[in-house]
Amino acid sequence: MSITGTLSSALSGLTTAARAAEVVSSNIANAMTEGYGRRELQTSSRSIGGSGQGVRVTGVVRHSDPILLGDRRLASAGSAARDSAAGFLKRLEGVLGTPGSATSLGGRIAAFDTALIEASSRPDSEARLSRVAETAKALVAHLATASTDIQTARAQADDQIESQVAQLNTALGRIAALNGQIRTSFGIGRDASALVDQRQQVIDSISGIIPLREVPRGNGQIALFTTGGAVLLDGAPAELGFSPVGVIIPGMTQASGALSGLTINGRPVSTAAEGSLISGGALAANFALRDDLAPQAQSRLDAVARDLIDRFADPAVDITRIPGAAGLFTDAGAAFLATNETGLAQRLQLNSAADPAKGGALWRLRDGLGAVTPGAAGDARLLKDLQQALTAPRNPASGGFMAGARSHATLAADMLSGAAQARLTAEGEASFAAARLDTLRQTEMEGGVDTDQEMQALLLIEQAYSANAKVMSTVNDMIQTLLGM
Amino acid sequence: MGLVSLGDMAQSFLLRRQGVALKSDLQRLSTELTTGRVVDTAARVSGDLVPLFGIDASLARLKGYGAVTAEAGLFAGSMQTALGVVDDLSTDLSRTLLAATSSTSQVLVDAAGRGARARLETAISALNTRVGDRTLFGGVATNGPATVSAETMMLALDTAIAGATTAQDIEMAVSAWFNAPTGFSATAYTGGPALAPLTIAPGEEVNVDITATDPAIRATLKGLAMAALLDRGALAGQPAARQDLAKRAGLSLLESQTDRTYLAARLGTAEAQIDAAAARNSAETTSLQIARSDITAADPFETASKLQETQQQLEKIYAITARITRLSLMDYLR
Repeated sequence: MSITGTLSSALSGLTTAARAAEVVSSNIANAMTEGYGRRELQTSSRSIGGSGQGVRVTGVVRHSDPILLGDRRLASAGSAARDSAAGFLKRLEGVLGTPGSATSLGGRIAAFDTALIEASSRPDSEARLSRVAETAKALVAHLATASTDIQTARAQADDQIESQVAQLNTALGRIAALNGQIRTSFGIGRDASALVDQRQQVIDSISGIIPLREVPRGNGQIALFTTGGAVLLDGAPAELGFSPVGVIIPGMTQASGALSGLTINGRPVSTAAEGSLISGGALAANFALRDDLAPQAQSRLDAVARDLIDRFADPAVDITRIPGAAGLFTDAGAAFLATNETGLAQRLQLNSAADPAKGGALWRLRDGLGAVTPGAAGDARLLKDLQQALTAPRNPASGGFMAGARSHATLAADMLSGAAQARLTAEGEASFAAARLDTLRQTEMEGGVDTDQEMQALLLIEQAYSANAKVMSTVNDMIQTLLGM
Repeated sequence: MGLVSLGDMAQSFLLRRQGVALKSDLQRLSTELTTGRVVDTAARVSGDLVPLFGIDASLARLKGYGAVTAEAGLFAGSMQTALGVVDDLSTDLSRTLLAATSSTSQVLVDAAGRGARARLETAISALNTRVGDRTLFGGVATNGPATVSAETMMLALDTAIAGATTAQDIEMAVSAWFNAPTGFSATAYTGGPALAPLTIAPGEEVNVDITATDPAIRATLKGLAMAALLDRGALAGQPAARQDLAKRAGLSLLESQTDRTYLAARLGTAEAQIDAAAARNSAETTSLQIARSDITAADPFETASKLQETQQQLEKIYAITARITRLSLMDYLR
């Protein structure tokens, strides 16, 4: 071994130590960066002319666990989808109201019932009749608010689909660009870890929207598929298409063409809950909310509104009406037609003949909607009949409720129970999905940067650096000795 | 790899996640402890809210029936008082009238006639009593008086008895006026048909259908009016006939007393029914409230101990967080 060989070895040691320190500093700097893969310097011994001549940096390895990463992305999609459903159902339950609250739908019906009973005791009292009209209007307003809220939720889902599709398109474009840069880096042998980090972050940002599967392609490139099988990126990125409508009213569906579906590269893709190419993420959950969950809730609400109309439309309840004319509750002022049930909850109104705010008179609640002049002030028969009609057992005509006669309050309670039940199930699933996601994230983070480990490595690097420097100074001494002879 | 290193973020993530879970538990438990009710009622009843809404609907309905029984009780009580007034003055007058016939003095008959006139007015005013701006004996026409004034009624009777020359004729004419559908009921009674039965509890009705046209009331008014005719100069100049009329009026009032008693008894039955319904309703309200709180109440002991437990757990997490953050190699490399 020659002295210059020693010097060269020590120099390589110094360089390697410097490079290692650089990697450690990068790791520590990114200790809090999500999606950062811990780097490690790979070295091997250098040999020149068949004998060992110092150390050589072979590359920087970026640690990541692709299987764990894939699982975490799928969990993230599942969790986002269930959160969306649970969020809607919680909102629905909130707007319908929970037991014990006077401002719940059940409370409104009970208040109307109480007002009718109290009015039958004092049919001559304007205050009592006015209370009947007020509670009836509050009930109608509650149904309308709930219905509007459901449609707003649909419109919001529509908006979200738009922004998610835009996000997907942007992200896929960026991933394709990063793929290209990584390929170039591979080509010229440069460290592409930072680019891979970036690409991982971009993919993570859309992993909640759609369940993704990442497939490695040559030269560090990747292809992306949905778990349903749609190709999102393989060389060129796919283009997703969607056109939002802005305002949604009951009755607008994808089947009728009023609402937009989804296209991938111009070809329409099914957005049904089962067997769709995109099923499993927040995007599919938004489609399900807009096209299934919310319309279902609306149809139940409409069935409750229809039950309310039907109860008072019975000709036996109020004989002063012209046969076929609207009862105490109307469909936007007119009699209700069975063919026109969709969105009824939103159009429900108190008959204007009995609504002082619309030119009606309160005494018509007592004397009949078709009465021309006020009758005897103490006549409580109609009010009693109205209360009877509200509480009499009756089979719901629509809404997919279990068959069986029940009062209006019970029918509403059945609807609310259905909503509560669905919410509890969805929340259970959502918390399970969230727990799974958390566990996977935690496992992923365990493989992240450990500052203790990095500091320890830094100590070793420091030692190696001073050792190499010591070697150099010793070699220097040796050369000085040689020169001074 | 898991053996050689443990990512920094994993620890803080774990602690953060557990901290958040505990904090949300803490919030839920403290809300439950302060309100005494479970926060998520739907979860407590596994989503079946029908019984709970059923209880709420029944409670609201019972509250309505509470108002009904209170008012019905008040009205029936006031009617009973009015009937009592009419009965007292009728009995009193019948005694005076019969006493007046025992002597030959016209003064007594005249005085009894004057008294009858005043008592008729009292009786009419009792029948026109309004409670809470509602006429009691006018049937469904609750917003106006039940009968015309005593003076108007007497004027109608003056016409009805015109031409009668004996006490018997007058009694027949007065009876006919009070009994015929074209007489009292059509001209003096200003009310309407009887009130419909009142629902005072779920499925239970009470009938307070007494109007001023009730036979007992009509018979009483007949007696009072006959006696009051004495004050208007009926059979003037025929002392014996006037005495006869006073006697007939007195007897008529005496005869109708049984009917009045039956009427009061009928009303009393209705009052008892209303009272019983009110008591039953309030008992039902109490038991429903107990049932409701059994479903929704959060056991304070259980909640408090859970709260304590959660608090300690959270404190432990804080302690561990503080310890672990200090446990860094960095701190020892100085």
